[in-house]
Amino acid sequence: MRQLLLSRAWIAGYALLAIAILAVPVAIDDPYLLNKFARYLIFATLAVALSLSWGYTGILNLGQAVSFGLGSYCMAMALKLKTMPIQTGTGGLPDFMVWNNVPSLPWFWQPFHSIGVAIAAGIAVPVGLALILGWFIFRARVAGVYVSIITLALLVIINLLIIDQQRFTGGFNGLTDLSDLQVMGIDFDPYSAATYYLAAGALILSLIVGLAIINSKTGLIMQAIRDDETRVRYFGYDVAAYQIFALSVSAGISGVAGMLYAVVMAFASPTFLSVQLSLSIVIWCAVGGRASLIGAAIGALLVTGIQGSLSETPIFLNTWLLIMGALFVAVVLLLPKGLISLVQSAITLFSRPVADRTATPVNKTMVG
Amino acid sequence: MALLEVKGVQVKFNGFLALRGLDLKIEAGELRCLIGPNGAGKTTALDVICGKARPSVGEIVFDGHKTSRLDEHRIARLGVGRKFQVPSVFRELTVRENLDVAQSKTAGVFRNLGPRKRHDPALQRLAEFVGLADERDEPAGNLSHGQTQWLEIAMLMAQDSRLILLDEPTAGMTAAETRKTAELCRRLKGQHSLIVVEHDMGFIREIGDVISVMHQGRLLAQGTVAEIEVDPLVKEAYLGSGGISHA
Repeated sequence: MRQLLLSRAWIAGYALLAIAILAVPVAIDDPYLLNKFARYLIFATLAVALSLSWGYTGILNLGQAVSFGLGSYCMAMALKLKTMPIQTGTGGLPDFMVWNNVPSLPWFWQPFHSIGVAIAAGIAVPVGLALILGWFIFRARVAGVYVSIITLALLVIINLLIIDQQRFTGGFNGLTDLSDLQVMGIDFDPYSAATYYLAAGALILSLIVGLAIINSKTGLIMQAIRDDETRVRYFGYDVAAYQIFALSVSAGISGVAGMLYAVVMAFASPTFLSVQLSLSIVIWCAVGGRASLIGAAIGALLVTGIQGSLSETPIFLNTWLLIMGALFVAVVLLLPKGLISLVQSAITLFSRPVADRTATPVNKTMVG
Repeated sequence: MALLEVKGVQVKFNGFLALRGLDLKIEAGELRCLIGPNGAGKTTALDVICGKARPSVGEIVFDGHKTSRLDEHRIARLGVGRKFQVPSVFRELTVRENLDVAQSKTAGVFRNLGPRKRHDPALQRLAEFVGLADERDEPAGNLSHGQTQWLEIAMLMAQDSRLILLDEPTAGMTAAETRKTAELCRRLKGQHSLIVVEHDMGFIREIGDVISVMHQGRLLAQGTVAEIEVDPLVKEAYLGSGGISHA
């Protein structure tokens, strides 16, 4: 009975979040705000992805921005090629290639004439990289902080590689002047409600996929690995396979988020693969609650939302970073399991029989 | 053919020989007690059987498979289950979830992606059997030491391995709990083979068929409790610690 109530409360929570997200364009008709909120939703999707690997499987991936960035470049390459007639020089080359004396479109740019291929690549490239990386580190039983160091190093390397290969990637500037994404006759203008719904759809889909995984036995084993990976091995599970799976799903979701970010921002740049973004995702998860998908999503929405409004308010222009830092420290110190642990405690308390409620105060929390 | 054969196994830790040519044969359905003075290599013997330690010399054959080079999870899948000396359960998962993890009939990532069964009567019976039915939705981290021991025993039963390795299962248990564990061991015998490492001679008398005595990384003697207690070699090995009955 208690379990049933608990799961009902959580389903209601997820449904509420989905409805709230979908209702925003009905209430707000400001293109600038819609664009900004779409960005927040994409960040929330990234946080959900990290929650799966970090919160549920114990893999603190500090290179989450690699998947995000690669996804965004895949989409940006396709959109760049769509802008050709106006933006580019002779022979249909992207403008920056002309400036860099590239004679013809490189072979790895060719497939991106097709938007379908680009979307497939935006998922397949990050997932492929996660599979390879995961195979090496998890088969070698690398664990804990070393996973974070390796993923962080990979992020820096790929970031440098993209900046260095200016002829093919646009270097520091990235890929700019992108056309709108057009799929099935819909034009996804960055400032339109359509694009907002695309981002909202991606977040809701990532939550559904995440929920399906964590409620499966695979999800349970992922959590067991987080608690004690050696013990899981002696029950006969191939721990590395589960870790590679979690990392790859997380990378795939991040790739989707990256593609949407390129659409919403109308450019892709090496800042999408920055250490700063990677660490921000960790902060969103920590604030909201890393071991809860909805917690991570709300954490991202809250932090980026507060950050956005503070940095745009003249009084806080010089101090907003300090305020954000203080908020982060406060949450981590007072609520190590994130803001969502407040909700978890409340639900646990109220789903208990009344007699029980008065007898034992809330010290057996964290069921949800 | 024996279910498990350990043939001349040597295990080296940084130059120290923890096992120096151990031979052991366990038949299907047998309950074997493993005793010996401190440092005899009892835990290492279990480690090398389940893959935690690797033999530098010798070989281990479980049910016709050479396991010395297999990954731990492959050895477990062949049917070797292990309870460690320090109880290790998944502290953030509930009792019910712990049992679900232990029940590892299907181990593949993708085969386990379907919705999870919320109520498994078999697991429910197990929880009742070890007296944890009321705690089934409680995180394992909230359990007492004794309850944690029982949870781990229930997890081993859920895993349902053909060979169960128990490392000091009664450590920290009350007399009543020890008796219950002994009864459980006797019940498991027959369908499962067990190797039990134990210091408590009372417990061993209650469950023991054949006892293997280890000393300095080798098998010293083997026989029934009565035979072992009068064995001059065993007496010598335990000299200074007051003899086997006081170990």
